[in-house]
Amino acid sequence: MATLIQATEVSKVYHKTTVPVNALNGVTLRIEEGEFTAIVGPSGCGKTTLLNILGGLDHPTQGKVEIDGTDITTMKDSDLIDFRLHTIGFVFQAYNLIPVLTAKENIEFIMLLQKKSKKEREIRAIELLTRMGMVDKANQRPGELSGGQQQRVAVARALASNPRFILADEPTANLDSTSASNLLDLMAEINREQKATFVFSTHDQRVMDKARRLVTLRDGAIISDITR
Amino acid sequence: MLARIAWRNVWRNKARSGVVIGSMIVGIWALAFGGGFMQSFLTGYIQSAIQHEISNGQIHHPEFDKDQNIKYSIHNPEKILTYLSQQKSVKKICERSIVNGMISSSRQATGVKIVGVDPEEEAQVTQLGSLVADGEYFPHVSHPVLIGEKLAEKLKVKAKSKVVLTFQDVHGNITAGRFRVAGILHAASLVINESSAFVLREDINQLLGIPDAVHEIAYTTTVGTDDLALSNQLTKMFPDEKTESWQELSPSLVFMQEWMGAILKILIVIIMLALAFGIINTMLMAVLERIRELGVLMALGMKRSRVFTMIMIETIFLSLVGGPLGLLAGYATVSYLGEKGIDLSNYSKGLEAIGYENILYPSLGLTDYSQIVIGVLITALLASIYPAWKAIQYDPVEAIHSL
Repeated sequence: MATLIQATEVSKVYHKTTVPVNALNGVTLRIEEGEFTAIVGPSGCGKTTLLNILGGLDHPTQGKVEIDGTDITTMKDSDLIDFRLHTIGFVFQAYNLIPVLTAKENIEFIMLLQKKSKKEREIRAIELLTRMGMVDKANQRPGELSGGQQQRVAVARALASNPRFILADEPTANLDSTSASNLLDLMAEINREQKATFVFSTHDQRVMDKARRLVTLRDGAIISDITR
Repeated sequence: MLARIAWRNVWRNKARSGVVIGSMIVGIWALAFGGGFMQSFLTGYIQSAIQHEISNGQIHHPEFDKDQNIKYSIHNPEKILTYLSQQKSVKKICERSIVNGMISSSRQATGVKIVGVDPEEEAQVTQLGSLVADGEYFPHVSHPVLIGEKLAEKLKVKAKSKVVLTFQDVHGNITAGRFRVAGILHAASLVINESSAFVLREDINQLLGIPDAVHEIAYTTTVGTDDLALSNQLTKMFPDEKTESWQELSPSLVFMQEWMGAILKILIVIIMLALAFGIINTMLMAVLERIRELGVLMALGMKRSRVFTMIMIETIFLSLVGGPLGLLAGYATVSYLGEKGIDLSNYSKGLEAIGYENILYPSLGLTDYSQIVIGVLITALLASIYPAWKAIQYDPVEAIHSL
């Protein structure tokens, strides 16, 4: 399989207070296409920071990240926005759907930013909602959906742009065990059927059990990398 | 969809948006009403002066203005009258003889401007007849005179009382005539009220010894006429005479017009500033409570320029709701009061003392309404810049993880 993400010697130092905080210490990681990878570790180990850097949301202090051979660490912010739009799908811990849009509109929104036609947007949105088992909730706003349903819409939104890979930051953290299990099964299915690459951070054992590759971080460094 | 999101965001917090829209409505209404009220004050004053006193324009001998000497009569009044009557923009014309003199009753005497008029012509130009509050407008009696209420009060005379007008004739001899007060005039104009006496032109000309003399030709014009341009045209046609429009005859009216305009502009600025701060406050709150959402939008791939535009559109939507409603409220108020009038009789003495009418009729032109609309839109757009700029300053990562 081809290398999709290549992070090399990535370090991140925060200067939020007078004392510098080393969030990541020389992380080198390669992720292949079609992987279902969990980045795990205790709180504060650097999982979210690594995901943000892999997703082009944050810049490393040192090192570089290549996506499909393109070095995103040297990209300008405006180019990175475009790059993210076409290459990466995001699923956030707190769902973060746009509250004033319906489930279908939330999915369409990302395609609108990609300047896809109305017809194309509608077909794809309905297709994804059907896939998520949410087509009957298409016209409901996030406030009218349960946490699990909102996260399914968030996954659909992440898939809507046909990204190269999906980054999910603690996607089950706010879900009850049934919703979390259902969501993970769905993500695993999509990964198997569509060969969609998923990289997610978690400290939830249920998520870890589903992942085929476990990258464990501690104090900003990888301490183990197991493929099952 | 950007517009759809912006529109729905406006109604996310109905109470807050309602307050801004309400303040817009009140602001625009206040502007329209304030503007209309001031306009009526000004228009009433100017119209009263034009209608009853100075007309839209006057023609004199070039030297007449200096000391109002009766020997300075218009060279060829007939020619001027014929030309004026051929002009489409000229509505009505009248001739006058004017001399300064004294008016005396058995009790008092005072200086007065004696104006000899043709009753029919004068009534059409200055509507002098409509000002008669007591007595009659030039009845068929010997030597009638019309004087203002204040002057009558000062002379302690009433309708039908006798007064004597004294002045110098064309030879410089003091001459006097006995006149009967035919009518008492009630006018906002201080000149008419306090220091004018209107007599028949034939009577005064006979006493002056200049039967055909005309010292003043006054004319009114149709609505929309450029009075300044017309007076320039008449000056070119009759270079031996001095033609002046109402603006030239009464610079104080022009000053007043400009002064009122300046006050209105200050009022506009104050209201717009209040509106701007209201918008900034509301939109900043709207941005601050949506930091995470804005971060998500930017993380997903929404360009900062689009986020900026979205916040601007939200403000425009607020203005598009508040603006027309405020304008409608202002238009309804101005139209209603423009028809019914605002009765300021309680302040009539004070108003009349400075030459104003008791009842004001607010009015506002299309240009004024357009200016208000443009002003509100510009204010809303300018006021939305800071919140929109603030919205794009957030780093997506920090924004997403904010509470």
